[in-house]
Amino acid sequence: MERKIVDGVAALEEALAKVRRAQRVFAGFTQEEVDKIFRAAALAANKRRIPLAISAVRETGMGVMEDKVIKNAFAAEYVYNAYRDAKTCGIIEEDETAGIIKIAEPVGVVAAVIPTTNPTSTAIFKCLLCLKTRNGIIISPHPRAKRCTAEAAGIILKAAVEAGAPEGIIEWIDVPGLELTNTLMREADLILATGGPGMVKSAYSSGKPAVGVGAGNVPAVIDGSADVTLAVNSVIHSKVFDNGVICASEQSVIALESVYGRVKDEFRRRGCYILNEEETEKIRKTIIINGALNAKIVGQPARAIAKLAGIAVPESVKILIGETKSVELSEEFAHEKLSPVLALYEAADFDDALNKAERLVEDGGFGHTASIYIDEKAEKEKFSLFCSRMKACRILLNTPSSQGGIGDIYNFALTPSLTLGCGSWGGNSVSENVGVKHLLNIKTAVKRRENMLWFRAPEKTYIKRGCLDLALEEIGGPMGKKKVFVVTDKFLFNAGYTKCVTEKLEEMKIQNSVFFDVEPDPTISSAKAGAKMMASFAPDCVIALGGGSAIDAAKIMWVLYEHPDANFEDMAMRFTDIRKRVYTFPKMGLKADFVAVPTTAGTGSEVTPFAVITDDEGIKYPLADYELMPDMAVVDANLMMDAPKGLTAASGIDALTHALEAYVSVMSTDFTDALALRAIKLIFEYLPRAYENGAGDPEAREKMGNAATIAGMAFANAFLGVNHSMAHKLGGYHHLPHGIANAIMICHTLRYNSAEAPAKMGSFPQYAYPNALARYADIASSLNLEGKDDGEKLTALIEKIEELKTRIGVKKTIADYGVTEEAFLSALDKMSLDAFDDQCTGANPRYPLVEEIKEMYVNAYYGGAKNES
Amino acid sequence: MNLDNIIAKRSKKTICRDGDLIIKLFDDDYSKSDVLNEALNQARVEETGLAIPKLREVTKVDGKWALVTDFIEGSTLTEIMRDDPGSADEYLELFVDLQMEIHSKRAPLLTKLHDKMSRKIDQTELDATTRYDLHTRLEALRAHDKVCHGDFSMGNVIISKDGDPYIIDWAHATQGNASADAARTYLLFWLKDERELAAKYMSLFSKKSDTAKQYIEKWLPVVAASQSVKGKPEERELLLSWVNVVDYE
Repeated sequence: MERKIVDGVAALEEALAKVRRAQRVFAGFTQEEVDKIFRAAALAANKRRIPLAISAVRETGMGVMEDKVIKNAFAAEYVYNAYRDAKTCGIIEEDETAGIIKIAEPVGVVAAVIPTTNPTSTAIFKCLLCLKTRNGIIISPHPRAKRCTAEAAGIILKAAVEAGAPEGIIEWIDVPGLELTNTLMREADLILATGGPGMVKSAYSSGKPAVGVGAGNVPAVIDGSADVTLAVNSVIHSKVFDNGVICASEQSVIALESVYGRVKDEFRRRGCYILNEEETEKIRKTIIINGALNAKIVGQPARAIAKLAGIAVPESVKILIGETKSVELSEEFAHEKLSPVLALYEAADFDDALNKAERLVEDGGFGHTASIYIDEKAEKEKFSLFCSRMKACRILLNTPSSQGGIGDIYNFALTPSLTLGCGSWGGNSVSENVGVKHLLNIKTAVKRRENMLWFRAPEKTYIKRGCLDLALEEIGGPMGKKKVFVVTDKFLFNAGYTKCVTEKLEEMKIQNSVFFDVEPDPTISSAKAGAKMMASFAPDCVIALGGGSAIDAAKIMWVLYEHPDANFEDMAMRFTDIRKRVYTFPKMGLKADFVAVPTTAGTGSEVTPFAVITDDEGIKYPLADYELMPDMAVVDANLMMDAPKGLTAASGIDALTHALEAYVSVMSTDFTDALALRAIKLIFEYLPRAYENGAGDPEAREKMGNAATIAGMAFANAFLGVNHSMAHKLGGYHHLPHGIANAIMICHTLRYNSAEAPAKMGSFPQYAYPNALARYADIASSLNLEGKDDGEKLTALIEKIEELKTRIGVKKTIADYGVTEEAFLSALDKMSLDAFDDQCTGANPRYPLVEEIKEMYVNAYYGGAKNES
Repeated sequence: MNLDNIIAKRSKKTICRDGDLIIKLFDDDYSKSDVLNEALNQARVEETGLAIPKLREVTKVDGKWALVTDFIEGSTLTEIMRDDPGSADEYLELFVDLQMEIHSKRAPLLTKLHDKMSRKIDQTELDATTRYDLHTRLEALRAHDKVCHGDFSMGNVIISKDGDPYIIDWAHATQGNASADAARTYLLFWLKDERELAAKYMSLFSKKSDTAKQYIEKWLPVVAASQSVKGKPEERELLLSWVNVVDYE
């Protein structure tokens, strides 16, 4: 197909349309087809590396032909080698287990701006990247290098099309002008700009995504520890490469005082010319005019620049070196020189060298490259200091920077590239060496996955009336504990309950101490008092004996004992997913094991990772972490026999709420479901008996003890819900016992959660759709309650709960418990918001709105909504 | 109108004084639009409140276009500096202050400096590559909206008998980046071979306006190219050496 010359906007529009058409076809190519084209194009460019180098030098009049051959070969061979096996088409990554697929798509048509300094190699580089990524490319060459750039593009296009690429996949502007370049940049899908700051700025202001790179002003620090011969020869090797036009080339050498003389000698010995003062001044005025680089010296050999300045030097001279002091921009030598002209600074010490290098990078090479020569093994610290101080995206160690910065020649992990990103410091969007990944849109396909769940319980849970003795024997025997600290409340202590423990301990000759000052709703100050005692006693085992308060207080004392600096506010920070919480709970059990012996059937704290503590202002800190899980739970109903009726009712109904909430929780699992259903069944059957018969019905007591612990295990893993959120705040604001507060809210919660079209549902991958109604119906069925549909079953369940509540003496409304309307209403808004923010809210199947919580509270106060159901 | 008192003759213009008035008489081949544009510039700048001679009339005298403005009795800064070299620093200070006062004004309808420079680059006889680089350079420089005199030299500042400064000759006024205007003034000093004064001016302007010298210098290739359009052979070498620079590639 005959190619049309692109010499104006109309021709460019036509070319753009052509590339676009070709690219649309190319986008459907397979990896195999693309790799074949990529290979053919790389081979063709590599074959023509010498003619292209000759053309470039002839047309631009800058650089060294033999070095341009290396650059062309680099762009073809190294780049091919780096990406030959890279996946760039379609699915490039797939993880079925994690449910994630990454799909590579081309970006479309790339506008490539090519500089005069590397007119053929950069063209090869960008064309190859585009072919590998199924992009079309239109090249805007610099007018000074338009023919050789077009020649390079033409060679690649021909080879690519012969290998199967669509006709016209590569295009270029034949008669470059700023208007054409700007049009191209506006209409392309992505811009790969390499050029002066004007060009890069145009690219970024075109409104299209741009990968633009910029100027370098590379300082090379030669430390006292450096191998001077290696350092100086590396700098020379790099600086003379293509007459210094590579932007990663060294512009200044900063040698430490201790090696300065040797550095100079080595430069001289290897054919560099150290300018005297007068000559230095002449070069200054030659290389920079009004603060800008004289175009006449770019890419010229040292002898030509010397001649221009009127200085006589040997023909073979490699580099002109000016000894200078200032690193300010007013010093011409501190600029980027794009020629074999080098500034040489002497640094008093390493710090001075750092300051100079830092300033030089800022002068004109922000974000580009910095280089250092140092004893790598002995001077690690200096190197890391250099790395932290330089605002450069490439930091090279003992490496010639021209060849080192472009990668894969002196280090094989650095991406080979002729477009070096300078990061935000250089006004770039990319800080790495530009490669295929910058020319791809990566789609991420994400499949819904459920996260791992868990079931955790204490290592040991001992059950059966009278099991306490045996459990204690284990503490003295296999567990080998020597000092036991017992935490309990005054009532139990006075009633002699602790004796069951202490006498057995004494019998086993285990030292023990008893703290019996736990209040209901334990406070931080009482926990601190206990912890103080605990610290001076230094136990290796803590036994908590009592109801929820004693066990929770003991847990807190245990935390304070193990980690005296623990911050409760941090620990109590609410989390959405216990696995992702910000705060890492300190490791427990380093000093003592924790044994929980409940004396009521309700709290479940003996098997849960929770503890609630109140500070002196009455603020409750609910702590939750599996570190708080007791090591051993001892469920011995003998200790529960004499619980008074009120306590039996309140703690029993609390356990029922635990099981109900765990069952409908978004985090419920088959494991917790089984436990919850069993607990519910036991409670309905045995709570009325335990309440009515007390110590006269040991079986009911034992079953209730088991039910509470089983329910505890369920909610230790599935967590609770809005019922508890509301009960926590209701109890806190209006001083209702925890169990009673829960009991009042149960049926309101059930009705609320059962909505089939809730305003919002709870979010957890396992929780697919609102299903609380069906779950409650499950519970009803397991209790053999009848109903022709889920709605009727729910009603039956609610009726059964209300019946249970009545039977065990729980009153109907908040008002019935003596909370005045005024007190209730004045606290209502705040209480509702606090309940919303409670840790328990997160696992509720319906994500509550504050207004909805408020409505439930109002209904519970006046006894409203239940009549409606 | 009395045209007998000719006080200056420039290429294509004759300047006469008639009592309190100055008559700027344009040659026959002078473009009508340039004359009217100069008048319009002058009127627009007048409206900013700067102390400049007021435009009184745009007319035709003997078939030639003429601008009639107030005559300011006094001497130019050039003359004053020549007569009183000891106070040169003070006059330079006044000169920079006046220029900064111009830059503090806004005249939204004036020609945009960026557009004018872009046109000038196209009109040069430079090769395509150099023009491309100049366009690229210009594009990267910021386009502001400050009033720029465009030909601000000491000869265009008149100190009246009462000691009040007036700025004349608004033919090249534009709105744009003050650094471009400063670069232009710096170039004018160089063209008159007043290099020392140029350097002093640059430092003073940079300091007073809190603008980095490098920032002003970035405009030099552009203003040099624009000046080259006038095609004065004696300026050619200097202008070309200023134009022929690269940022980097």
